[in-house]
Amino acid sequence: MPTKNMTDERLSKFKNKGKDPAKLREKRITECVELRKAHKNESFLKRRNITLSSLPDEEALSPEYKDMGSPCSMEDIVRDVTSGSREAQTRGCQAARKLLSQDRNPPMKEIIDAGLLSNFVSFLLLDDEPSLQFEAAWALTNIASGTSWHTQQVVKHGAVPAFIALLASPLLHISEQAVWAIGNIAGDGSAYRDILIECNVIPALLSRICPDTPVGYLRNLTWTLSNLCRNKNPCPPLPAVMQMLPSLIQLLHLSDKDILSDACWAISYLSDGDNERIDVVVKTGIVPRLVELMSHKELSVMTPALRSIGNIVSGSDVQTQTAIDAGVLNILPQLMRHPKASVQKEAAWALSNIAAGPCKQIQQVITCGLLPPLVEQLRNGDFKTQREAVWAVTNFTSGGTVEQVVSLVQSGALEAIINLLQVKDAKVILVILDAINNMFMAAEKLGETEKLSLLVEELGGLDRIEMLQNHDNDLVYQAAHNLIEKYFGDEIEGVKGAATDAFVFHGTDVQGAFEF
Amino acid sequence: MELNDANLQTLTEFLRKTLDPDPTVRRPAEKFLESVEGNQNYPLLLLTLLEKSQDNVIRVCAAVTFKNYIKRNWRLVEDEPNKISDADRTAIKANIVNLMLSSPEQIQKQLSDAISIIGREDFPQKWPDLLTEMVTRFRSGDFHIINGVLRTAHSLFKRYRHEFKSNELWSEIKLVLDTFALPLTELFKATIELCQTHATDVNALKVLFSSLTLISKLFYSLNFQDLPEFFEDNMETWMTNFHGLLTLDNKLLQTDDEEEAGLLELLKSQICDNAALYAQKYDEEFQPYLPRFVTAIWNLLVSTGQEVKYDLLVSNAIQFLASVCERPHYKHLFEDQNTLTSICEKVIVPNMEFRSADEEAFEDNSEEYIRRDLEGSDIDTRRRAACDLVRGLCKFFEGPVTAIFSGYVNSMLAEYAKNPGENWKHKDAAIYLVTSLASKAQTQKHGITQANELVNLNEFFVNHILPDLKSPNVNEFPVLKADAIKYVMIFRSQLPKEQLLQAVPLLITHLQAESTVEHTYAAHALERLFTMRGPNNTTLITPAEMAPFTEQLLNNLFKALAVPGSVENEYIMKAIMRSFSLLQEAIVPYIPTLIGQLTHKLLLVSKNPSKPHFNHYLFESLCLSVRITCKANPTTVGSFEEALFPVFTEILQNDVQEFLPYVFQVMSLLLEIHSNSIPPSYMALFPHLLQPVLWERTGNIPPLVRLLQAYLEKGGATIASSAADKIPGLLGVFQKLNASKANDHQGFYLLNSIIEHMPPESITQYRKQIFILLFQRLQSSKTTKFIKSFLVFVNLYCVKYGAIALQEIFDSIQPKMFGMVLEKIIIPEVQKVSGAVEKKICAVGITKILTECPAMMDTEYTKIWTPLLQALIGLFELPEDDSIPDDEHFIDIEDTPGYQTAFSQLAFAGKKEHDPIGDAVGNPKILLAQSLHKLSTAFPGRVPSMLSTSLNAEALQFLQGYLQAASVQLV
Repeated sequence: MPTKNMTDERLSKFKNKGKDPAKLREKRITECVELRKAHKNESFLKRRNITLSSLPDEEALSPEYKDMGSPCSMEDIVRDVTSGSREAQTRGCQAARKLLSQDRNPPMKEIIDAGLLSNFVSFLLLDDEPSLQFEAAWALTNIASGTSWHTQQVVKHGAVPAFIALLASPLLHISEQAVWAIGNIAGDGSAYRDILIECNVIPALLSRICPDTPVGYLRNLTWTLSNLCRNKNPCPPLPAVMQMLPSLIQLLHLSDKDILSDACWAISYLSDGDNERIDVVVKTGIVPRLVELMSHKELSVMTPALRSIGNIVSGSDVQTQTAIDAGVLNILPQLMRHPKASVQKEAAWALSNIAAGPCKQIQQVITCGLLPPLVEQLRNGDFKTQREAVWAVTNFTSGGTVEQVVSLVQSGALEAIINLLQVKDAKVILVILDAINNMFMAAEKLGETEKLSLLVEELGGLDRIEMLQNHDNDLVYQAAHNLIEKYFGDEIEGVKGAATDAFVFHGTDVQGAFEF
Repeated sequence: MELNDANLQTLTEFLRKTLDPDPTVRRPAEKFLESVEGNQNYPLLLLTLLEKSQDNVIRVCAAVTFKNYIKRNWRLVEDEPNKISDADRTAIKANIVNLMLSSPEQIQKQLSDAISIIGREDFPQKWPDLLTEMVTRFRSGDFHIINGVLRTAHSLFKRYRHEFKSNELWSEIKLVLDTFALPLTELFKATIELCQTHATDVNALKVLFSSLTLISKLFYSLNFQDLPEFFEDNMETWMTNFHGLLTLDNKLLQTDDEEEAGLLELLKSQICDNAALYAQKYDEEFQPYLPRFVTAIWNLLVSTGQEVKYDLLVSNAIQFLASVCERPHYKHLFEDQNTLTSICEKVIVPNMEFRSADEEAFEDNSEEYIRRDLEGSDIDTRRRAACDLVRGLCKFFEGPVTAIFSGYVNSMLAEYAKNPGENWKHKDAAIYLVTSLASKAQTQKHGITQANELVNLNEFFVNHILPDLKSPNVNEFPVLKADAIKYVMIFRSQLPKEQLLQAVPLLITHLQAESTVEHTYAAHALERLFTMRGPNNTTLITPAEMAPFTEQLLNNLFKALAVPGSVENEYIMKAIMRSFSLLQEAIVPYIPTLIGQLTHKLLLVSKNPSKPHFNHYLFESLCLSVRITCKANPTTVGSFEEALFPVFTEILQNDVQEFLPYVFQVMSLLLEIHSNSIPPSYMALFPHLLQPVLWERTGNIPPLVRLLQAYLEKGGATIASSAADKIPGLLGVFQKLNASKANDHQGFYLLNSIIEHMPPESITQYRKQIFILLFQRLQSSKTTKFIKSFLVFVNLYCVKYGAIALQEIFDSIQPKMFGMVLEKIIIPEVQKVSGAVEKKICAVGITKILTECPAMMDTEYTKIWTPLLQALIGLFELPEDDSIPDDEHFIDIEDTPGYQTAFSQLAFAGKKEHDPIGDAVGNPKILLAQSLHKLSTAFPGRVPSMLSTSLNAEALQFLQGYLQAASVQLV
């Protein structure tokens, strides 16, 4: 949630008739400080030990050196890797790779401290030693999957150009290993992502997509592409995005769920930005396909598709309209009732942004039957979902016509938000009070404030609003107090002041000419 | 100021003097301390004293003084000097934690407050080591110190419970969590272990349990904004221990006190809050623990007694169950018939019972009782919590719950029937139960028909409520009587009219009850019944239906006002007002007596106005008396003035500020009834109304302006002839109002009345100056509201004095002024004028300018003639322009700060809308056509040529329509 200046925000809502729709939209700001555990349902930043789809029989390509005794000690590895013999080097690399593939405490730091990275990187260049090349690439990939510091060591030793060159390897499993390594490096953050982009990683990657590329390879490649789209501050450079988009669109039309998932995540990253970024995505014409994928049976596809559409409807009215035209409003109800709370929440977030639009779009929200699921969410959703649903109500009431607000109230939303006035979150309470105030402004236009006051009272709202006059948060107190004063109050107070003895009517001289 | 013994000595002496009961000693000492507090080392001297003084009184006094000093001075305000030197700030921060922890409790509390004030400003950036310093103290093992740290931490962190999420706030919380969460958890575990080792040592337990309570509060604050990763990972530890504490009982910690909650209760209440927080916000993560908490809290409720000291705990615990049982995925925890029965039996019913504390309040503290029972300020009560639980359970189990309760209601009523004298409380509980079950239907009224076929409200009324109301002895079982009256009131919309009509005389009888609660409820119920609407938007109960009871109603209401404890009872006064308003002319015969009683009441309360609502309804009742009586016979106004003026005079003389806006409104009402003359009694008061002190109070302005308008309307000529010296004062009022963006429209109201009603010659000398003031305001700070009022005034002036006079006065202020105003203000803005009367004034005024002002025909103003005509046609035909400039916050009358609150507008003193033009002009469009026709005959050929050259086609078409309607032609 953005940290808006609430006073300004309220002024813009209450006092001015002409509202600035941009202010109503609730944009997700990802660099927010988080107290929670990291998101569970997002795709991984870095991966270790994925299976290479194109790996042929391992023995054939890279015979294991079992006879040398295993597990190997670090000394053995250092000795082998730094020896002059290709065979020993291959053996050492493989041993290192295996240690690094351990589930628990892979000795990344030890390998780095032993100074082996420059050796590994130099092995990447040996096109005539595919086994060594492969083992070195694998070992480096595993190190790059570690913390930022680990990734940094890999990059510092010049792995970026080497891996990019390796993409062109005629041996599919080596090329795929490079794809994976690059994915890990790109996933570290925007800095390495942009270094990769500057080294022309994108054309090198995209050239590997062709009709006969195996599905498994495409999966890894899509994941790597998604990491190249990922992260903000700054966002990926626009030319790079333009380069990737046609291929991403192509991938989005495949049917493999993993490819779809990562391609959707890529789109979700690209659309998580200002309207200009959203525009780039919308212009590809992919919106209908994304909307279609929102009802995909796999959660891993549906989630990022929903996120992407959620991002798009946080954009301009025109951008939002493309999603509406593509039928997003027909799919949202089922997602708002999805068994998973996190899906419900995302769907409510998307709806809250659509409801921030002009009344024509709000009308479509009504027509497509979104009010009943919205009210269900307000009543029974988990807290995070309720919070988004409350925003939807407030945005709806700020931009909706009087008739639209009336149908919202009639759908049971007023009762539901009144019940939510007891939540333990000051901001949500304030947003609800805002919605109630908007409803009163609509009622004013119909001359029905009294009727609404009565309804609010019947629903137990008056009690709750009165209680909120004791809230410790000043803005909540003020908002509650204002509502009571304006629509329920008959408080009587006196005002004090001092003055002089008598009024005298004293004209003033005209100073300079009047000019209106 | 040096840190030396002499200064410490001086400071000690002055501190001692600040405790002196004699203000002539105390005040100068306080003044002195304030005068030296800006010196460097002053706070350090205080800290030294509070640590080292031999005199305990001085130590505490120094601590309090120090805290207040910090409160006043610590915050750095932009553009203001730093009031505490940096050296002092550093020294304070370096020592205060230590000092706080080593001080006795009285001083510790003050220093703890001071730390949280400093923390609010400096923590965490400018006080980075505060947390680590505090955390190290956890290891001290000394719980006096530990509790000091916990208390300070609580005052630092409790704002996390109410502040909005922001990156800044969350960064702070993250930092706190990083250093504090683990040590707090360790301390929590260690403290619980210590409780086991010291299970028999009551003194140790007391200290340990206050630590646990503080730790639980900190848990609440730290978990409030979102579920922190640390607490998610350590949920098992926390929740298992919380659960254990909920189920724990230790005889040693039970207190004998019936009122004050003990340590166990405080701790368990906080744990209920913590569980409720998790259940509400972190449902997904908390789910595995929730069933255990439901069981524990439920067992807790079953085993907790009726004493007041458990109220908070019980109400928190019930609220927890209430919030859980209406969540769909926890439904199964309550589903079982036995579970439901036992919740109803053991949790709900016992907490709905009328307790001795309620009985005491009913008898001795009726105001408090009414507030809780009638006005809904019962949020923390057991009854309210039990009601909420009933409603929560009804969401999924309405049928079974209602069935269970019906059984209870019947058995309780049977108990009552056996021995009413002994068992009346059973009936009270039965009524309460029915009410709480059935009022659920009220909240669901929307869209759903009567939801509760299981509770037959009418039958219950006939069988169990009506008998109580009919009982001949109104003073027997007053609680049940109050319950019965409340039942009528609450279910008035559900009960058939004939039942209500049957109840009305019974309610009137209950006005005579001795019990304050009972007669208050009766008054309130009557007042509510009188506001009910019947068909055709009339009142449900008609004056004719009330005729047989009118006298007794009025009698009993006024008698009740005489009962001690009800002399300023706002419910009764409101019922009087409502009765007057309902009965209308039926009250006329009683008014001569009643007005005396009302004015007597007014005289009494004006000595010390303390009940704003009572006073408001009193004035409303006075207004109603005047209106209703004078409507039938206007000449009676004199007798009202006779009765009221002595009291009003006293109120004005004593400057009873709360009452002045009311008095001005009643006087306006009275004066407006007079036919075109002003009695001398009013004229005597006139100079006083112009006193600036009255106009300083925002709340006086609207009623005073209205009163002055009434003076001008009825006595413009009298003022000009006998009080001409007051005219500058009158205009001074206008000048003051004109200078205020909030009140300028009031200034125009006054000005309009002056123009309309004062003889023209009496204000000739001021006219030019008035316009100069308006032009200055227009130039310096015009607002849409000002322009709208200005346009109306200019046109009214034109209507009254003629277009030539208007043009001449403008041009005498500055050459070509008239043209500029037309071009820059009138033409572009006239579309914004709102209100039928206002639009009519502008239309007639502009018509005059167009057709009766030679300068418009033969000077360079001619070029504005057509645009002005076009603007006028626009005013007639186009929708009102309600746009406002982007940069202007529209100061509307309603938006004026304090307007509503301070003004205390009386509904029954309402003013009729005034049309200064009236029937003189029926249809302004026809007037325009006729006037144009006249103009065209005076200047043949000119008008059609001006029209054809620049009037737009659409406007021309409209104009032709007017000409046709007026049957005239232009030549």
